[in-house]
Amino acid sequence: MSAVARTKQAVGNVAVQQSQYLTFVLGGETFAIAVVGIKEIVPYINLTAVPMMPNFIRGVINLRGSVVPVVDLAARFGQGTSTMTKRTCIVIIEVGINDEKQDIGMMVDAVSAVLDVASDQIEPAPAFGARIRTDFISGMAKVGGKFVIILNIDYVLSVEEMTLVAGVRRESVSGVS
Amino acid sequence: MSIDQIRETFVLEARELLQSMDECLLRMEKAPADKETVDALFRSVHTIKGSGGMLEFDPIVDFAHVVESLLGMIRDGRVPITKDLIALLLSCGDHLGVLVDTVAERGADPDPDVLTRGQAFIERLNVYATAVSDQPVSMQVPKVRNENWHISLRFGRDVLRHGMDPLSVSRYLQTLGEIVSVTSLFDAMPNADQVDAESCYLGLELDFKSDADKQTISEAFEFVRDQCQVRILSPHSRVSDYVDLINALPEDKNRLGELLVESGALTAEELQEGLHIQRCPAGVRFNDCVYKRDGFCDGKQCLSDPTVRRRFAFAGGDVKSRPAPDHVPASEDERREIVNSAPEKQKRGGEQRRQERNFIRIPADKLDLLINLVGELVIASASTALRARQAGNSELVESASLVTRLVDEIRGNSLQLRMVPIGDTFSRFKRVVHDLSRELNKDIEIVVSGADTELDKTVVERISDPLMHLVRNAIDHGIEPADRRVALGKSATGTLKLNAFHDSGIIIIEVSDDGAGLNRETILAHAVERGLVDPEQTLSEDDIYKLIFEPGFSTAEYITSLSGRGVGMDVVRKSVEALRGTIEIETRQGAGTTIRIRLPLTLAIIEGFLMAVGNTSYVVPLDMVVECVELDETHISRGRNYIDLRGEVLPFLRLRDQFQDRSAVARRENIVVVQYAGHKAGLVVDKLMGEFQTVIRPLGKIFDNLPGISGTTILGSGEVALILDVPSLVQHVSKMESLSVRH
Amino acid sequence: MTIEVEISEGLHRLKVSGELNIYTAVEFKQQLLEQLARAPRVEIDLSQVSEIDTAGFQVLYLARREASRDDKPLRLAAASRAVKDVIQAYHMAAYFEHSTKKENA
Repeated sequence: MSAVARTKQAVGNVAVQQSQYLTFVLGGETFAIAVVGIKEIVPYINLTAVPMMPNFIRGVINLRGSVVPVVDLAARFGQGTSTMTKRTCIVIIEVGINDEKQDIGMMVDAVSAVLDVASDQIEPAPAFGARIRTDFISGMAKVGGKFVIILNIDYVLSVEEMTLVAGVRRESVSGVS
Repeated sequence: MSIDQIRETFVLEARELLQSMDECLLRMEKAPADKETVDALFRSVHTIKGSGGMLEFDPIVDFAHVVESLLGMIRDGRVPITKDLIALLLSCGDHLGVLVDTVAERGADPDPDVLTRGQAFIERLNVYATAVSDQPVSMQVPKVRNENWHISLRFGRDVLRHGMDPLSVSRYLQTLGEIVSVTSLFDAMPNADQVDAESCYLGLELDFKSDADKQTISEAFEFVRDQCQVRILSPHSRVSDYVDLINALPEDKNRLGELLVESGALTAEELQEGLHIQRCPAGVRFNDCVYKRDGFCDGKQCLSDPTVRRRFAFAGGDVKSRPAPDHVPASEDERREIVNSAPEKQKRGGEQRRQERNFIRIPADKLDLLINLVGELVIASASTALRARQAGNSELVESASLVTRLVDEIRGNSLQLRMVPIGDTFSRFKRVVHDLSRELNKDIEIVVSGADTELDKTVVERISDPLMHLVRNAIDHGIEPADRRVALGKSATGTLKLNAFHDSGIIIIEVSDDGAGLNRETILAHAVERGLVDPEQTLSEDDIYKLIFEPGFSTAEYITSLSGRGVGMDVVRKSVEALRGTIEIETRQGAGTTIRIRLPLTLAIIEGFLMAVGNTSYVVPLDMVVECVELDETHISRGRNYIDLRGEVLPFLRLRDQFQDRSAVARRENIVVVQYAGHKAGLVVDKLMGEFQTVIRPLGKIFDNLPGISGTTILGSGEVALILDVPSLVQHVSKMESLSVRH
Repeated sequence: MTIEVEISEGLHRLKVSGELNIYTAVEFKQQLLEQLARAPRVEIDLSQVSEIDTAGFQVLYLARREASRDDKPLRLAAASRAVKDVIQAYHMAAYFEHSTKKENA
């Protein structure tokens, strides 16, 4: 369940509900994700690449003693791997895998701001035209007269799916060589 | 302790007791005459019954009572021990286990079919009981008429000093019901000059009328529970519960008996009944006893009766000296000894139990937390040591190295806490061997050695199932039926050996049988049939045997219903490898098979060897590393990935290529020679960084099934290093190579 | 807690007043047993006892037990409400009434 849906359910009859979103820049475009689930934002630190993984899994970092995998969001959207700049950040998000919780880092070009968005300011995702998978989009928010894509983080960082992709990729590699 | 905790403790203890019951029974089969085993067996069941009674788990108590009664007869030498009886008692133990699971753990009533099964067991037990006493074991101990609660309190010496007054207990009880009778006991009060006026010497026996439930009533004593002995008997408790109470209290037994009768907790008859059941050598109920005089029977009369005596003699353990019917079997003194020995033994049992209790039970997760923290500490202290060296402050370096040394000791000690002997797991297999060999009509002896060998609790837990599978396999397929063994000139009894020992930082567990051994041709034929190998391929003997670990090797024909159970040898291998262990087979056709499992002692921390390719650091378990040599390009034939290592062919793989590291190839490369399960391989890396105490961090779920990498660790610098899984890496490489060769 | 002693014809009347509790128990025990040792016959007046707890009661029990062991007559002459309540709560009235019967515990 997305954070938006959760807040709506909780308040029941109240028509308009404010929720907080973090906006960030990726490939020159602004995206937003619900603040719920974000644990922290750390500047880009040296990461250790893990071999034989799809390109969107950049590797792992040491987050105060825990080893956290880092997903390159641009690569996850199929838009090529990000290049590192001084503003590159890793957003640490807690995701659920069945009953377990796991932290995953999400690499973005830069974080912008935390915004309050009213629920009536959010439009459903367009069927096409956003150039990223529609199931990754939970809605479109109107911010400063522009539409910002709100990402459905549960899908974007779905551990099941990413694991599957990694497995398939390995199979195909061993088949070819 | 809350009721839930008490219940939890009961379940834990009951499981342990049932386990020990199993062990005793199996021991008894070998040495039926061993008194200590029989006593221990009796004690296990008696304790389950006793604590079950306190918690009012009636189905457990009722069933345990019947088993206990028969065990009492066995202990007194009146029922002979046979293989069938042992098998029956083993099943009864299992049934008790089911009852403990349902009644105690889940708080549910047993299913009707469970009760029916229990009834069937009771009837079978009674066949043995009636053979010697004409009296079936009474199904239920009679219960008292008293409809009040009976509460027995012995206050601790310091209660008053701690500002608690027993008066407040009785005042509180009055809010829950009516105190029908009170008897105060000051028997614990010493001579006047020794009396400390601030100490409490009071004991109370209360009869209490209340509709409250046991939990509510026992909560009244919650605040003094740690310092007091509190015993609560429900309305209509069993007569034997009162007898147990009397036996447990410190005061004189006769006085307590009178006191209970006086206060109306028990009638004189009920008391008599309870005492009789405990005392009577024939297990006869008091009402049916024909030897009571003036309403009393001390059990001796029964023994002097020729009929009882005959039964007694008939069932006596020593068949050779079975006396003639009218011959008095023993002198008066000897008989008295028989009668009196039981309580004496129980007393000794109590002492033993107190010694055994000299342990602290700790929830495993608390221990895990500690180990994790120690892991953090190891990392943090490594990082401190590094910083100290970088800062060049010699005093700081010195104190950091002291910290490192202490942390190292803490690490060793705390890992030791998780170490448990493998013996308990082995003992479980004894039961399996016993049951299976009966089922299959094979005669199998199990020989256990190295039961004291310790390894990490998690490793033990996770290796238990694979071992079980190997044991089943050995019994099912390995060891031949007795007639066939005899025909082959082997001893009729097959031997299954379980062995464990430590060997340079790892533990080796062996499961061996002296059965048929593996058949090369059959395995090869199977493998060809399954498409696992090319018919033309030439395989070494070793390689052929290893085929049984391949997924898809197991066939219905090979795996019978018995060892099948959905687990094939490939699963065994996977489980072992998941524990970073290896498995190998040694077999001689006709002479037997040994499966050898090598496991690391612990999963949390290993001694590692650190090396680097480009910017990435890798760790291999130190005990795998044989040597390091500089890679001399001139020794390599072009395009071939092996070198001549002092006349030996050493295949190697380049981690840089394998892991698609795009960093520039270093000017000088090194080969780390690793050895595992008898194989050697070389890993080509850039830099060698030496030994490193490695705290293993699991890789996230995303990296599941990643071949070649089993985990991560954090270096002193804060960087993450990858831990190599050498066997799976080599397997992956050779699989890819064989694929590309075929294409 | 105080004990006043009144002696007439070999009978020691011990008049106890104040609080008999965990705070005074040690002193109470010492004084009471001392008095007991001196007296051939004892009567204890507890009518002025304002408060008594289990600790205080234990001392009374002890005195009663020692008197029985020495076959020394001891009886409770009077008791305040507080004392009566405790004796009743512990169901010990009978024990204190039979002044001459030898203790059988």
